[in-house]
Amino acid sequence: MSEINENLTPESVQQEALAEIGKAQSASELSEVYNAFLSKKGKLSQLMAMMGKLAKEEKAKFGKAVNEAKQAITEAFAKKKEESEKKELSERLSKEKIDISLPGYDFGVGHINPYYQVIDEVTDVFVSMGYEVIGGTEVESDHFNFELLNVPKDHPSRDMQDTFYLGNVEKLLRTQTSAAQAHTMLEKEVKTPIKMISPGKVYRRDDDDMTHSHQFAQIEGLVVDKKVSLSDLKGTLELFAKKMFGEKREIRLRSSYFPFTEPSVEVDVSCFNCGGKGCAICKGSGWIEILGAGMVNPKVLSDCGYDPNEWSGFAFGVGVERVAMLRYGIDDIRRFYQNDVRFLKDFKGE
Amino acid sequence: MKASLKWLGKYLDLSGYTPEEIASKLTFAGIESDSITRLANADKLVIGKIISVKDHPDSDHLHVLMVDEGEKYGVHQIVCGAPNVKLGLKVIVAREGATLPGGVIKKGVIRGVESDGMCCALYELGVDKKYLTEYQCSGIEELPEDAKVGDEDPLAYLGLDDVVIDLDLLANRPDLYAISNIAREVSTLLKRPLHLPEPAKRELSKEDFKVGSITPDCPSFALRIARNVKVKESPNWLKSLLTAEGIRSINNVVDIGNYIMLLTGQPLNMYDLDKLPKKELIVKDDFEGDFLAMDDKAYPLKKGDLVVSSDDKPMCLAGIMTAKECTVDENSHNIAIESAYFKGAPIRHTANRIGLSSDSSQRFVKGVNPDQAEYVLSLTSDLLVELAEATSISETISYDTLSHEPKSIKTSLGYINTRLGSSFDIDQVIETLEADHFRVSRGEGDSFSVEVPKHRIDVVGEADISEEVIRLLGYESIPSTLPLVSSPKHGLTKIQKQRRAIRAYFRGAGLDEALTYTLINQKLNSSFNYLSNGGDLYLANPLTEEHKWLRGNILSSLLESARYNLDHGNKDFALFELSEVETLSGVGCRLALVLANNHKTRGDLEGRPYSFYDAKGLLTGMMELLNLNPNRYQVVPFALGKEEFHPGKSAQIMMGKKLLGVMGELHPNILKEFGAKNLVAMEIDLGAILELKSSPIKASIPSSYPGVERDLALILDKGISYESIEKALRKSDALIKAVSPFDVYEGEKVAADKKSLAIHISLGSDTHTLKEEEVNQAMEKAIQQLRVAFGAEIRQ
Repeated sequence: MSEINENLTPESVQQEALAEIGKAQSASELSEVYNAFLSKKGKLSQLMAMMGKLAKEEKAKFGKAVNEAKQAITEAFAKKKEESEKKELSERLSKEKIDISLPGYDFGVGHINPYYQVIDEVTDVFVSMGYEVIGGTEVESDHFNFELLNVPKDHPSRDMQDTFYLGNVEKLLRTQTSAAQAHTMLEKEVKTPIKMISPGKVYRRDDDDMTHSHQFAQIEGLVVDKKVSLSDLKGTLELFAKKMFGEKREIRLRSSYFPFTEPSVEVDVSCFNCGGKGCAICKGSGWIEILGAGMVNPKVLSDCGYDPNEWSGFAFGVGVERVAMLRYGIDDIRRFYQNDVRFLKDFKGE
Repeated sequence: MKASLKWLGKYLDLSGYTPEEIASKLTFAGIESDSITRLANADKLVIGKIISVKDHPDSDHLHVLMVDEGEKYGVHQIVCGAPNVKLGLKVIVAREGATLPGGVIKKGVIRGVESDGMCCALYELGVDKKYLTEYQCSGIEELPEDAKVGDEDPLAYLGLDDVVIDLDLLANRPDLYAISNIAREVSTLLKRPLHLPEPAKRELSKEDFKVGSITPDCPSFALRIARNVKVKESPNWLKSLLTAEGIRSINNVVDIGNYIMLLTGQPLNMYDLDKLPKKELIVKDDFEGDFLAMDDKAYPLKKGDLVVSSDDKPMCLAGIMTAKECTVDENSHNIAIESAYFKGAPIRHTANRIGLSSDSSQRFVKGVNPDQAEYVLSLTSDLLVELAEATSISETISYDTLSHEPKSIKTSLGYINTRLGSSFDIDQVIETLEADHFRVSRGEGDSFSVEVPKHRIDVVGEADISEEVIRLLGYESIPSTLPLVSSPKHGLTKIQKQRRAIRAYFRGAGLDEALTYTLINQKLNSSFNYLSNGGDLYLANPLTEEHKWLRGNILSSLLESARYNLDHGNKDFALFELSEVETLSGVGCRLALVLANNHKTRGDLEGRPYSFYDAKGLLTGMMELLNLNPNRYQVVPFALGKEEFHPGKSAQIMMGKKLLGVMGELHPNILKEFGAKNLVAMEIDLGAILELKSSPIKASIPSSYPGVERDLALILDKGISYESIEKALRKSDALIKAVSPFDVYEGEKVAADKKSLAIHISLGSDTHTLKEEEVNQAMEKAIQQLRVAFGAEIRQ
């Protein structure tokens, strides 16, 4: 127990302590102040010890003064301590600054071959219009790939598409997704309306170069019902063109020929690059050919079990790589099949 | 097919339309125009005559000419470098300001001598050199004596003022391989009258000559004979028309044959009558042996090839080429002209097999009009008389088994408007069809029938009539509507959605989605081929060995994409592909991935080499996405041999005895071949996985009582798998809720055949807070089991 200092008064201790707290600059100085005034051996404790010697009537007054001093000192101390900690924290944090321009962790954004990007997008457009999506087989019979599509043996239009035939079975690699049309119609036991698309790979006996590939993809579409008309086809493709290439797009139909449709049309969309003024992409014409379509040939309907006097339908086929090449300015169809990651990195999916 | 506008202009008035307007009208009617070519392309030309030639004072090859350009333009001095200048020569002069393909002609000074204009060669006026002789290309054009000095249109004088529209014909309009039918089409589109040539009325003597056919592939054969023809050069007008059509002039007789074919679409064949062994021509399809053709080559013929024979000797490979022995040449006097109808299929087979294709054979293959032999032969006769001085024309009795009844189709306005979604009126439709050369007769109500013009062999049914109407009235005349069909099924199926989700999952994990070829070579197909059970398909007629096999696996192709990337400086990457694979056993669906070198988690700052565990983690995640519990499949050590995977860092994915996939780090030999430090690969039978029923979802309610965590460190034989320890622990006591490894060590601190495994164990109960004693008991039980079952040593 230290000597009792007779000169100590609550007022003087408070005054001294507040001055010391005010002066303290660091956590260690503050801690000294704490030891000197607030600890068990501190001056406030000394004052408390002095109480015992006081007369009864003085005790209450003195006690009250000591408590007031203690409260003032404790508050001042707490405030100072908080300030000091805050200051020290901010000093420490200011030294912990990192270079936020460095790369972050890669949580993986894989890229998508633009081929799938187009297929997914076209699929979404038609699914939103109430179509179902039918898969097909790439290994086909002559019957489904040609005969049922009104391309009999020795028909001149077989010259249009050189075909890969298989060596170990009597089959071929389909030359067009239209084969899926015949499957869909024929395989319906009860003939009900059809509204489908069928995306898939097709094969032609072509040498590969910048614009030709022995393998490419098409998206076939087929709608069959009691009174489907050419104007329905026109409206459908117009909607498709707008969703796929932009609201301002228009389409135009040109007469064409496919054995499985009659009438047949080529469909041009107004150039999405120049809006129709003429540019390098549309070769100055303002229009880009994007697909072939037509009213299902009555012979195809009837061969597939749909009575053409009762049913009618339209069909269309879009070239997947062609759409991707036009849209993204891809110069060479072989790039789709090389998967160079420097090429893929620009395609993000959705 | 090239359409010469000059030729078309003989049959209808084209004035007021530019070649571009005509081409565009044809294109929208379904006859696509590929290009428009002007035979020559120059203006401000005049025919001049050289009236003096002097050497240029300052050149060893230039001449200074005085050229008389007629009354209107007078005489000009022209410096000319052509070697063939001579006094009195008539030449084509491009006047000052003339625009030639090479530029604009200006008055100027050439080496100190004034020059006003240019004397031209035809190629300098834009004529393709392939139609010119070498001599014509080596100097200025030498005009004939009858050229008129001062004539301001030398191109017209030469017949070179033509424009050719190149048409890209579709298979349904073989009739358009005839100028006359293009003229019909243009007259329909321009609504202008048509005047096709009419043959002269001629008395024909009957010839004692037998024609016939023993095959249904030639149902019709007609012949005429022209006597005393003089084989010589063709006149200018004929030569220039053939030039416009891209055909070189040979002699008048050959040129007449080509001209008639181009005009009518009917190929002709000419025989030297005097060289035929017998007065007969019979079409046969049973000849076998060599055929010596006019190109001096022998072609081996088989049964089924159509030949025109005389005395059983083949005189012509029908529709393709004449025999050498009866070819018309400059010494021929009497010729037989054949106009036959051969079916396309046999001609196509023969032409393809022997590799001979001609303008004639192509027309037969595509289909010719069987109803015009008489017209064609009469026109030919006229030309042989006019241009080859034939003195007599005679005919044989024709062989003809065809019906020449006109084709009639019944239809109605209602049918047409319903099919097209249009609202045309009856007059509009009938007017359109009549302009299209159909003959229309009204029936009851809105029905009518049409008689199809003979040349339109493509028009066979009502739907074709609707097409004629809309292609001529224009597709812009129908409205845009949407079909009111509600397909009972719509939207993506569950499997289609799952495939989308899986693809998005792998992309989300940082892998790029790749696309590779289905057709690969045999070596690639036999590599990494674990899932197809043999039975891969291959092509009978591949273009190259590189693309012969239908892949039985997609990993090999994906690895080729990896190789492409590595060869092009891309070191670190991750690729996957989801694709159908078709084998003898049907269609499967596969997913493969390749991870190359490092997984760069922060660019070049941080990363780690890809390992087996990347493939495993991706697989586990995908299974979880599909809600397939880990107990539905097993990952077991790879035991399929072959040095493709690293034997110790690879696995098979099994479902019972069925192989669902393979994965692992690749064998060092393969890494070396690829020049990669590290490659991880996987291929799974996604089709089989998607067929599995997903586990039912049942919520697990977290226990309300706190759990207890304990760690356990074991020393084990190296061969003991973590999985077996985990299973044993889980089975040992119901309080053990979760087990997870946190350290695996092999090395100096443990024996060579041992490893240390540290495990984190979570214990808990759904009914109460665990007591220390319970936990200790459970742990003791577990440790005891590990000791007994695995000889595990516990490290304290």
